[in-house]
Amino acid sequence: MLEVWAFRVVFVACVAVFAVQMATRAWLVHAAKGSLSLAKLGARLRRVLLEVVFQSKVIRERPIVGLLHAFVFWGFVAFAGYSAVHFLRALGAVDFTATRWFHVYAVLVVPFAIAVLIAILCLVVRRVVLRPPALGQTVSVESVVIGLFIATLMITFLLDFRLTGGLATRINWWVHSLVILVFLSLIPGSKHLHLLLSPVTILLAAPALGTVPDLDFEKEEVGLEVVKDLERKQVLDAFTCVECGRCQDHCPAHATGKALNPKALILRNEDALLAGARDTRLAEVYEAGVLWQCTTCGACEYQCPVGIEHLPLIIGARRGLVSDGRAPQSLAAVYNNLERRGNIWGFTSDQREKFVAAAGFESFDRTRHEYLLWLGCAGSFDADFQKALRSLSQILRSRGVTFGILAKERCTGDPAKRTGNEYLFQELARQNVEDLKAAGVRRVLTACPHCVKTLGGDYRAFGFDGEVAHAALLVAGLAGNLRTDPGGTVTYHDPCYLSRYAGGTAEPRELLRRAGATLREAARHGRRAFCCGAGGGLLFEEHEAGKRISQERFEQLQATGASTIVTSCPFCTIMLKGAQASSGADTQVVDLMSYLGDRLKAGAEPAASALAPSGEM
Amino acid sequence: MILAIAEQHGGQVSSVSWEAIAGAQHLSTAANGLKVRVVVIGSSVGDAAGQLAQAAVEEIVTVDHPALGTYAADGYVLALEAVIAKLAPSYVVLPHTYQTRDFAPALAARVDRPLITDVIAVKGADAGPVFTRLVFQGKMAADVVPEPGAPCFVTFQIGAYRADAAVRGASPAPVVPAIVPMDAAAIRQRPEAPFREAKQAVDLSQAERIVAVGRGLGKQEHLAIAEQLAGLLGAEIGASRPICDLGWLPLERQIGSSGQTVAPKLYIALGISGAIQHAVGIKGAKTIVAINKDADAPIFEVADYGVVGDLFEIVPALATELRK
Repeated sequence: MLEVWAFRVVFVACVAVFAVQMATRAWLVHAAKGSLSLAKLGARLRRVLLEVVFQSKVIRERPIVGLLHAFVFWGFVAFAGYSAVHFLRALGAVDFTATRWFHVYAVLVVPFAIAVLIAILCLVVRRVVLRPPALGQTVSVESVVIGLFIATLMITFLLDFRLTGGLATRINWWVHSLVILVFLSLIPGSKHLHLLLSPVTILLAAPALGTVPDLDFEKEEVGLEVVKDLERKQVLDAFTCVECGRCQDHCPAHATGKALNPKALILRNEDALLAGARDTRLAEVYEAGVLWQCTTCGACEYQCPVGIEHLPLIIGARRGLVSDGRAPQSLAAVYNNLERRGNIWGFTSDQREKFVAAAGFESFDRTRHEYLLWLGCAGSFDADFQKALRSLSQILRSRGVTFGILAKERCTGDPAKRTGNEYLFQELARQNVEDLKAAGVRRVLTACPHCVKTLGGDYRAFGFDGEVAHAALLVAGLAGNLRTDPGGTVTYHDPCYLSRYAGGTAEPRELLRRAGATLREAARHGRRAFCCGAGGGLLFEEHEAGKRISQERFEQLQATGASTIVTSCPFCTIMLKGAQASSGADTQVVDLMSYLGDRLKAGAEPAASALAPSGEM
Repeated sequence: MILAIAEQHGGQVSSVSWEAIAGAQHLSTAANGLKVRVVVIGSSVGDAAGQLAQAAVEEIVTVDHPALGTYAADGYVLALEAVIAKLAPSYVVLPHTYQTRDFAPALAARVDRPLITDVIAVKGADAGPVFTRLVFQGKMAADVVPEPGAPCFVTFQIGAYRADAAVRGASPAPVVPAIVPMDAAAIRQRPEAPFREAKQAVDLSQAERIVAVGRGLGKQEHLAIAEQLAGLLGAEIGASRPICDLGWLPLERQIGSSGQTVAPKLYIALGISGAIQHAVGIKGAKTIVAINKDADAPIFEVADYGVVGDLFEIVPALATELRK
């Protein structure tokens, strides 16, 4: 009886320690503003099933470690009932241990116990001996202790079968029980809070990568300025972070020696929240300048196994700085160009008209044209990308696909949105949506993945719901007339906004293969591709800290030994060509459409009818 | 009478003042020979008045007050308002400088009279002078006729009249000090002494001619060819990013989105492919000549004159022609 009371005291003490810490965090979540969305619930539940129950993402991105983690996780789940029965009996509530089904259950969890034991010991060895950089420069004592706790739980569980009663059994029992209770009290203050929070954060994370909700200026929203501006999900994110460092491993800024580390952002939020620094400026919570080093490539969010959304945080904090007039110098000119000329480079519209006339593009007429071809800033003014559009139009015409263009286009506002100039973005979005609707556009085709993201994603909130397709995806469905003789070795660089954001990884490769290219993949490709360095307004910052991201990516692509690098984003082309020119390498960089244009069969010239100007130009 | 407002800094008359005087003299012919007076204000403006007295004008009016030592909009508005009240000019003419942009609107509002800014030309007409100014970012020109009444404020765009076109008089014009009440306490701005921000060693933005080199140059020692051409043309040397990345030329010679933005009359691009990041820096160039062996190079899309060929043949030949 004394033993039961002793256990009850320890139990209440540990649960109280757990509860107090949880209450602090729950209050911080409650005090934060912002609503939690469950829109597209089906997709969210499916993701919870895959990523939590089946541990799909953890295993996919780091197979060995992921599988070890999965064993520990599944072991925990398997043991849930066992531990519950154990505690009910220990507290003197009810005893199921003598039932037959409990004996069966106890035997069934034995293989789990062995799997957990092996897995956790491997993970401890990895943390202590292998010490991957992602886990930080110092070994986390707490994590090692908890690792050993888990091992102890399994050992004491298994030992119980071998012990035959008496003092040894009681000691074994107490060790097992105390470890569970101390573990419980350590959960809220450690990364192990992810045990409880990650299913919630994964459920609450937006279904689409890089979802950054618009600001509502009517409600005087200006973005995130101080710690107390962090939204509810962002507070949850700070507590759910499991510190695995996958984000850090995949961040192009971090990889090229910049101060930005997505993991550090989240952990510093956690520290600031717990320290009660509610009025501290976010820019001061993080290392100086890191908010402007993000290319919004989304690798961090894509990798995060616990549903943390870094992009709304970074862009939100950028908005706070922009609203305060603290955007970097390199963006001032861009904003000015966007405001005055409606394009990122500040060219006058007559230069776009010159290209349109030379390329023979017709004005969009919904009765005659299936697609609206959106040129974008690059298509309107970058002579190099204009070649890609000429190739694209040649392919479209050869397949009888009709298209027209808008007489006037503004930048979609992608650079404004991603750099936190929300007001400018919304202004551009509203005007463009008005023009698209007035022209009766239902299907948009563009060769710029950033335009795809804004037109097809961000513009939904502004009332444009037409289909938006990237040229590589559309052309994949209708390409013909391509030469199939050997087209040389090609490395395909996946643009972040096409691959990670939109899942378009197979089609460009398929097209290249059909055009006779021999593909060679870089280590980081597909949805895991390494950014070119242009996104998030960094196209305009050529004097970046550390190594240039574009240089690093160019070297990764060059290392495949392919003679040509093909990509399908004008920004990627600009960045990689810049790196190529600076390094003086022979490897060619070319847009997918230009590449295909060169691989069109002779005689695949457009049918005369498709080329004839309508006279309405 | 036409009153031209001169600008002086530390007793030195700025050349734009002479442009304003030339403008005023031109306006005088368009307005039936109205007399021109020039007013110069500040603290110890004797020297400046002496320089201005060379102009063929009726007289030089000075407002000399310690409170006008450093420029402040309030002080200028107070002083000029008093001068205008005293002299009752039909037109007040100013050079369209930053300083003018700062105080002229307040001055015009104070006397509740029209202000026609950034005028590029004046035409005489029966009903009085007509002023031409650019609108829609320089895309169109508009003729403007002020409401009847006096005075009418006119600012002339820099360069609309040449400073050396101002007619000088046979003998110095009389300098007449104007006594205007100045209440130093009414000047709300307290400017510190003016200073100049550390200037970049090389300011390509003001260069009239630029010879720019790109990766097509091949080797650093080939820079000499470009430098020779630049020397003959009296041009500055510029470069695209890779050249500065390689350290062949200092960063301050880089032209493009992360370098300098230039607007020369003549821009010669040697071996520059014309990537957009470079092209944005030369939007303002009047005439672009590109020499590149790659006929597909994007630079030819923006060039006014393109030469497809080997720059090592063409540039020396060009240099030989220039020496003749």
